[in-house]
Amino acid sequence: MNTLILISSLGGFAMLADILKLRKLVYPIALLGLIGAAALAALDWNGGQLAPIFKGMLEFDHFAILFSIVMIVTLFFWLLMSQKYLDDEAHAIDHIALVLFALVGGLCMVSYQNLTMLFIGIEILSISMYVLCGSNKNDLSSNESALKYFLMGSFATGFLLFGIALIYGATGSFDIMTIADSIGENYQDYNVLVYSGVIMLLIGMLFKVSAVPFHFWAPDVYQGAPTHVTAYMATIVKTAAFAAFFRLFFVFSTVTGAWLDILTVVIALTIIVSNTTAVFQQNVKRMLAYSSISHAGYMLLALISLSALSINSVLFYTAAYSIGSIAAFTVLLIVASGKNDLSFDAFNGLAKSNPVLAFVMTLAMLSLAGIPPTAGFFAKYTVFNAALNGGHTAIVLIAVIGSLISLYYYFKVIIAMYFKSGESDTYQLANVQQLLLVLTSALTIALGLFPDLILRWM
Amino acid sequence: MSAIQVVPIHFYILLSAVLFSIGVLGVLFRRNAIIILMCIELMLNAVNLLLVAFSSYMSDAAGQVFVFFIMAVAAAEVAVGLAILMMIFRNTKSTDIEFLNKLKH
Amino acid sequence: MTLYLFYILSFVAILSGLMVVFSKSPVYSVLYLIVTFFAIAAHYVLLNAQFLAAVHIIVYAGAIMVLFLYVIMMLNLNKEVEPHKPIAVKFAAVIAGGILLITLVGAMRSTQSLSKAENVNSQIGLIENLGTVLFRDFLLPFEISSVLFLAAMVGAVMIAKKDKN
Repeated sequence: MNTLILISSLGGFAMLADILKLRKLVYPIALLGLIGAAALAALDWNGGQLAPIFKGMLEFDHFAILFSIVMIVTLFFWLLMSQKYLDDEAHAIDHIALVLFALVGGLCMVSYQNLTMLFIGIEILSISMYVLCGSNKNDLSSNESALKYFLMGSFATGFLLFGIALIYGATGSFDIMTIADSIGENYQDYNVLVYSGVIMLLIGMLFKVSAVPFHFWAPDVYQGAPTHVTAYMATIVKTAAFAAFFRLFFVFSTVTGAWLDILTVVIALTIIVSNTTAVFQQNVKRMLAYSSISHAGYMLLALISLSALSINSVLFYTAAYSIGSIAAFTVLLIVASGKNDLSFDAFNGLAKSNPVLAFVMTLAMLSLAGIPPTAGFFAKYTVFNAALNGGHTAIVLIAVIGSLISLYYYFKVIIAMYFKSGESDTYQLANVQQLLLVLTSALTIALGLFPDLILRWM
Repeated sequence: MSAIQVVPIHFYILLSAVLFSIGVLGVLFRRNAIIILMCIELMLNAVNLLLVAFSSYMSDAAGQVFVFFIMAVAAAEVAVGLAILMMIFRNTKSTDIEFLNKLKH
Repeated sequence: MTLYLFYILSFVAILSGLMVVFSKSPVYSVLYLIVTFFAIAAHYVLLNAQFLAAVHIIVYAGAIMVLFLYVIMMLNLNKEVEPHKPIAVKFAAVIAGGILLITLVGAMRSTQSLSKAENVNSQIGLIENLGTVLFRDFLLPFEISSVLFLAAMVGAVMIAKKDKN
């Protein structure tokens, strides 16, 4: 709970500092505050208040604490990444404040025990993201991405609320524990309301995680938004959405008849469609958008087996994926700002001019593709393992084929860097960015070799 | 004597389903972003009506308090949505959602 | 008597909802939406949620619709000619809305068997009961929605205001 209070007050302080002319202080204090928040979250670990607090609104169980730490660490990396960009930005302070408020929304989505907190958490996260997407005001594609994300997001919230209303009608309460018990007991008499409520919730949440039939907004929004905001959306927003998805659908594990087969079809579609369309992309940022949709498919795969193993695998997957994409987006931000062109040729000959960047980008691409030494491989391994335990071999086969296809477009970047010749000046990196690149690469390798760093906590 | 004792809950569910579908129809039908925003408000109102009907059917005030939060969020959403529309109108002189697609390609 | 009132109000709400979608100029849509909000507020009064009806009128008809009218007037969008989607897309939209309606109504048909509410405590809609529930059970969402409003305000000002350069 105190992480929530600390981060909201950090956001408030960021805006106050704007008035008190302490603008220079905001960035370092935000970084320190995040370290403090991660420490406070860890302190809650051994049963600080494992019982739900505030009349059953939030519960900081191990699930919530671990996902909060993953999001706080990713936001720490994000701040390191976009430090140069935030300096010359007219609304730098608003950016930091909105990013912190979005994290507050994410924390509520991760630890809710009552559907009201899920709804408020999703709304805080989404409203901050609508604004951040449109923050680059004179760029038309940023405007378009904000409008598209806003219309799709509120449309999805309409479905989510209709689902919540139907579930409330069937079970008489918003608390997910009472919902789970009452669905379990009298499963027969009013299961129409439960069934349609679960389907509506599924539609609403699938919009938020951009699974295939509802993914049409994602590529344009990811491409239109400023690059550092796209990095935020691909990592923290996705982690929060998946944690909320899992927390919600573990409640409906007794009614799997209603949603499991639909979800299996959605996963197959997500993996096939996103990987095949990513192959034809010329723009690296749009390719990363489609790769983010394909990773959404892999993460959903872990949900099917509905076991403790699936929570473990999703936690590891979100951590590995967030670190990999932060590294990839950092290199993309540096290369794109140098050449302001986001196609694959921007990376031509990068290995010769700045080998460090090329190495970090290669590591990130290997992690996203799932090649052994990196964390991405082990993430996919645990997810496939969880799904196989659940006995869903067909869908795991499709997932493996999908990740084979994904090798093509991830290696397209590596080939462009190492085997294609092209002139590009050496970019001098701010020391903050160098620290970030070293940190992310070390973490990717460390998680790849010793996955127990994360797996043993759950 | 509340209406819920006379009107079966089934009618309220159908009414809110109809209003919800009209909202969805409006979002898909129109090109003017402001009308789409209004239809999203209509969808949220259909959900509010359903929640109040269930809340009085079960004599449990939690549903009505949840409607408070939906209204609060809808107001915040409309404020941000209209701000985005203002920004787009300033750049493209139109709130037509197809217009942006044409410009980008 | 309440049954007829229910039918009238539902008819008014559905008709003005349709008019919102199919009316020519945005100002007419806003007015029809206000009529829908009044019909829904009347439904709340019928359901003994009097305080909610008042808040509904103030927040929706009072604040949000005024914001809509203000933006429509500011962007002088009141002109008749309005770009329309091609006929095929509009037809597909109507079909999609129709299918959603049919599935929802079909799915909900079996809720007819739900019995009518017997011992309904009609005091839950009054303000002191809502107040206790809001500030006792729903205290945390009440506090966290202040963060929501702060983010919305910062965002709306940051996006809508012209930059100084």
